[in-house]
Amino acid sequence: MSKKIGRGNSQTQATRRWAWLFLGPVVAAFTIGFVWPFIQGICLSFCKFRITSDATFVGISNYQAALADPSFQHSFWYTAATAVVSLVLINVFAFAVAYALTQGIRGSNLYRTVFFMPNLIGGIVLGYIWSMIFDGILSHYDTSILLETKYGFWGLIILMCWQQIGYMMIIYIAGLQAVPEDMIEAAKIDGATKWQTLFRVIIPNVMPSITICTFLSLTNGFKLFDQNLALTGGLPYLIQPDGSTINTTEMLALNIYNTFYNSSTAARGTAQAKAVIFFVLVAGLGLAQLAYTRKREVQQ
Amino acid sequence: MDKQQTLAAERRNKAILSVVLAAICILWVLPVVAVVINSFKLNTFVKTDTFALPTSESWAGMANFVKGMTFGNYPFKSSVLYSVVITVLSTGLILVFCSMAAWYIARVDSLFCKAIYFLCVFSMVVPFQMVMFTLSKTADVLKLNTPWTIPIVYLGFGAGLAIFMFVGFVKSIPLEIEEAAAIDGCGPVRTFFSVVLPMLKPTLISVGILEIMWVWNDYLLPVLVLDINKYRTIPIHIQYLKGSYGTVDLGATMALILLSIIPVIIFYLACQKHIIKGVAAGAVKG
Amino acid sequence: MAEVSLRHIKKVYPNSERTSKKGLFGRKKADDGARKASSLRITDEGVLAVPDFNLDIADREFVVFVGPSGCGKSTTLRMVAGLEEITDGELYIDGQLMNDVAPKDRDIAMVFQSYALYPHMTVRDNLAFPLKLRKMDKQAIDARVNEAAETLGITEFLDRKPKALSGGQRQRVAIGRAIVREPKVLLMDEPLSNLDAKLRNQMRAEIIKLRQRINSTFIYVTHDQTEAMTLGDRIVIMKDGEVQQVGTPQEVFEHPSNLFVAGFIGVPQMNFFDAELVRDRDAYSVRVGDAVVVPSAEKQARLAAHDVTSQPITLGIRPEHISLASGDAATLVGTVDVSEMMGSSVHVHLDSLGQDVIVIVPTTEIEGPYQDHFFAGAKVEYTFAGNVIHMFSKDEQGTNLEF
Repeated sequence: MSKKIGRGNSQTQATRRWAWLFLGPVVAAFTIGFVWPFIQGICLSFCKFRITSDATFVGISNYQAALADPSFQHSFWYTAATAVVSLVLINVFAFAVAYALTQGIRGSNLYRTVFFMPNLIGGIVLGYIWSMIFDGILSHYDTSILLETKYGFWGLIILMCWQQIGYMMIIYIAGLQAVPEDMIEAAKIDGATKWQTLFRVIIPNVMPSITICTFLSLTNGFKLFDQNLALTGGLPYLIQPDGSTINTTEMLALNIYNTFYNSSTAARGTAQAKAVIFFVLVAGLGLAQLAYTRKREVQQ
Repeated sequence: MDKQQTLAAERRNKAILSVVLAAICILWVLPVVAVVINSFKLNTFVKTDTFALPTSESWAGMANFVKGMTFGNYPFKSSVLYSVVITVLSTGLILVFCSMAAWYIARVDSLFCKAIYFLCVFSMVVPFQMVMFTLSKTADVLKLNTPWTIPIVYLGFGAGLAIFMFVGFVKSIPLEIEEAAAIDGCGPVRTFFSVVLPMLKPTLISVGILEIMWVWNDYLLPVLVLDINKYRTIPIHIQYLKGSYGTVDLGATMALILLSIIPVIIFYLACQKHIIKGVAAGAVKG
Repeated sequence: MAEVSLRHIKKVYPNSERTSKKGLFGRKKADDGARKASSLRITDEGVLAVPDFNLDIADREFVVFVGPSGCGKSTTLRMVAGLEEITDGELYIDGQLMNDVAPKDRDIAMVFQSYALYPHMTVRDNLAFPLKLRKMDKQAIDARVNEAAETLGITEFLDRKPKALSGGQRQRVAIGRAIVREPKVLLMDEPLSNLDAKLRNQMRAEIIKLRQRINSTFIYVTHDQTEAMTLGDRIVIMKDGEVQQVGTPQEVFEHPSNLFVAGFIGVPQMNFFDAELVRDRDAYSVRVGDAVVVPSAEKQARLAAHDVTSQPITLGIRPEHISLASGDAATLVGTVDVSEMMGSSVHVHLDSLGQDVIVIVPTTEIEGPYQDHFFAGAKVEYTFAGNVIHMFSKDEQGTNLEF
């Protein structure tokens, strides 16, 4: 009776002996590529530093500096505006296209292929392509996308729509195809019009897809970097009364990047503090999504 | 009578819808068409006559492509090479090691596994800016700043999504198959490689596609980690061309962009079905 | 030669593991849900799935573990297979202690309920896989695979993937994969449960044929008593982790050791009555309702041997041992609730002594004097002989008083 209690499945026991092989590489790389930089990043946000080895603790002053930075504030509101406007446009169009493509129109597959295509192109290249197009148009009016904030804003929105509508469309199509055909037929027999069927039967049944896409486009909008950098790079800039500048089309990620690498190295602590704030923001959105979908799953 | 009318109306609606969709479709390919057109134009005409077809006056022919090869103080050939090396190695590493780790995590019930899994899910919501400075320093110290070693950084930063997706799939595989393998004579390592890995094929494809799309197009991570004077991937190369805006030859740039899009589009058309499936799977999970 | 001995085998699932099963990382164990539902003992160590299992299985014997789901039969089988760790006790195969031997080194094979075929391999590769792992040379593998395929009639499917097979065909492949290795012990975990009724009967017959042909010892787990009765040389009836009775099909049918076994073996179920056992010196009689039944001499002797006293008992009589009677020959009376026509016989459900009593009447009797007996509401008189009654104590175990 003195033998130790078995841990159930003895296959597991045999597998455990190989933990080093199965987990080793990922744990090592994950530590290098994520865990350690993350911890160090949190620590450095409370420090003054130029390089990682000369850090001195300064408390929360980095955070105070970050929050007081007008360019950071501006980039936050600019990012929020971009994210919300793109969210609405992308989802409305993506859903409309997905709905149209599930009506059994000839050539649906071809359309789907074309709409999704921009997703494969990287953000930098996208930015380059669209800056050429916008400048091609605006040059006829003797202006450029780099000269006016509103051009930069709507330019970026158009670019995001072009890139992401196809992506969201795929998710919506999957959602729409999962709605049982007989449910729609039942609605028809019950006398619902096409619009009633859409709003009363179909949309409630694709709510999970709508939730996913909403959060996805929101976080995409907040994390946007490559496209922002390549399209306008933050230009045009405004000179503040105190002599500092605000890049008017600069989003959060680019603002953090510029604070790290394109201003004095003394600002790196501030930049890291901004990065932590940014992380909290984006992670908050992610957790909200998780909590929301969990709740729905429980309800279903 | 009534029924005929509704059917006719439905047909008409469908026809209108088709026309609208076709129009949007054309709009959708226009930017790419613009790239193609302008890659054959002389520099000065790109900006002024962006949407005009090349004329005898603006036609540059293949000269843009020839010029593009050595353009921007960096050989385009090398960019392509490095992009391919980094993408292939990173995706390979991620697929092999993350599927192994995911199987272990899904099958062994320990606190350590739970912790790793939690960290993986957590890492999926952490934006790159949070770790970019410290990660690039760490990578420098560990000499992970070459195209041959940067895949380790990708494995580390990309492990989250891959492990999350693999764990989800492994849990749907009945345990009995692995038990049968154990009775048939497999140890854990063999069980994984001869029995589990082949069953993971659909997820391997999905994850592989997501990783390829990410790594191939990624700009910020390589630009911060790699030694830019020596190693530039395609996105870095193109962004650095733009750095010298105004003096840059737009025609030649478009030629380069065209060259960098073509393989992507071929890849897309070749594995379209898998890509769309993979993206949908990744989105629903993430 | 492969005797299997299980000595004081015990299985405890530690508490931590059970609680974690609910979490994100829970693994699905065989009949886990059922195990939760059943009345297993929870001790300080954890959940006691099998407290003390003892059995000696002879070479080439066909033993069936049978019981309701969650009774520990699968757990015991999996301990023999080496898939489940043995908490305590000793397992010998061929006289060798196997507790800490890996499944692959026990020289056993197993057929799973879900077939557990390798989906990415063809049928041929599925069959060859265990042989390849044993580094057999290619020709020998081919010969064995072809032989097994022929035995099971799956030769024509050898190059297909499992996905392209029907349930019955997959089952054959699963059995094939187990027999190609010519294992010492062949373990089968509810192999027929996923098949439809017709196929199940067919496969059952094939397993009987199969076992004549191969030299393995069989341990077969099922919840289906018909399978147990038709296949087993010996049947082990389990409940809540404990062995209720071990015996040949005939023994457990004719002499069930307790109320549970009596109720579990036999379809339709045995009828039970509240009754009174009366001892008058060495003469026993049973009073049920207004009637008195005298046990056969053999039963009288057994009761006397155990010095059984007068007491209230549960009286059991199998439906097939009840016959219709009339007049003085009748023992008890009931009213017909419903009659089920089964073809060769009619199952008549009676309301008698305030409970449901089933009587099996051969169809040939329908035309006879009892033809009025099968309509709902009809009064029916019936009787049974003293040699077919079973007497169980009224305590929790419901032990057969003859034991």
